[in-house]
Amino acid sequence: MPDSSQQLTLQIDSQLANTTLVAMAVRGVCAMTTLSPVEINRLELCLVEIVNNAIEHAYNNEAGHPVEVCVGLDKTTMNISVSDWGSSIPGDVIESQQPEEIDPEHPESWLCSGRGLHIVNKLMDQVSYETDEGKNSFIMSKALRH
Amino acid sequence: MAFETREEGSFTVILVDESRLDASIAESFKVYLFDQIESGKDKLVVDLSPVRFMDSSGLGALVAGFKKTRGSGSFTLASAQPAVKDLFDLTSMDKLFKLHDSVADAVQED
Repeated sequence: MPDSSQQLTLQIDSQLANTTLVAMAVRGVCAMTTLSPVEINRLELCLVEIVNNAIEHAYNNEAGHPVEVCVGLDKTTMNISVSDWGSSIPGDVIESQQPEEIDPEHPESWLCSGRGLHIVNKLMDQVSYETDEGKNSFIMSKALRH
Repeated sequence: MAFETREEGSFTVILVDESRLDASIAESFKVYLFDQIESGKDKLVVDLSPVRFMDSSGLGALVAGFKKTRGSGSFTLASAQPAVKDLFDLTSMDKLFKLHDSVADAVQED
């Protein structure tokens, strides 16, 4: 993750009920910034999607594994990284940024899952994904007004 | 109980009595919706008024319920808070779902 002047590191156990803990903590950090209420809601949504993704896919919904969230803050940017030590996201999933079109006339377009990464790609200013010695990190950034 | 059902005229109103409709409860919500539909309830209104936050899994449960009622009934939503409306807008799900301002509005349409 890019260097930031202030940094907070949080860790939860890989259970979906714990995601709300990091979501609330990051909302608290957001309240220190110039982000609007709508932007804070959207940032919370992105964080939740990526943390849930780590729990559901990296750890296959198995409790007892760490999910780490780092929040970096400086005057111009908020950086958030979500890390796990489980299965990494396949490259084709990361690169698939085409938002699916919903067609009310075609039920096959009414997908029940798979929207999380599209939402994050749409809402964050920058996203990247890296794996280093078994640690997978999804890194996202949001520019701050100053 | 996170979900409650009541009858209003010919409609079945399902209240999501949670501030977060997220991945931690999405599966149990989907099962609850399916139970209602399979028991013959075919005009459903989901009251989202307590829900401050919804993620893509919560949305997925609603889509699953919508798909299950298709062709044999109605499935609409009521009283979505701003962050929930924003999610529907971001995912273009507002094309699929009818979002009513209130349950009273939703049960008036027949």
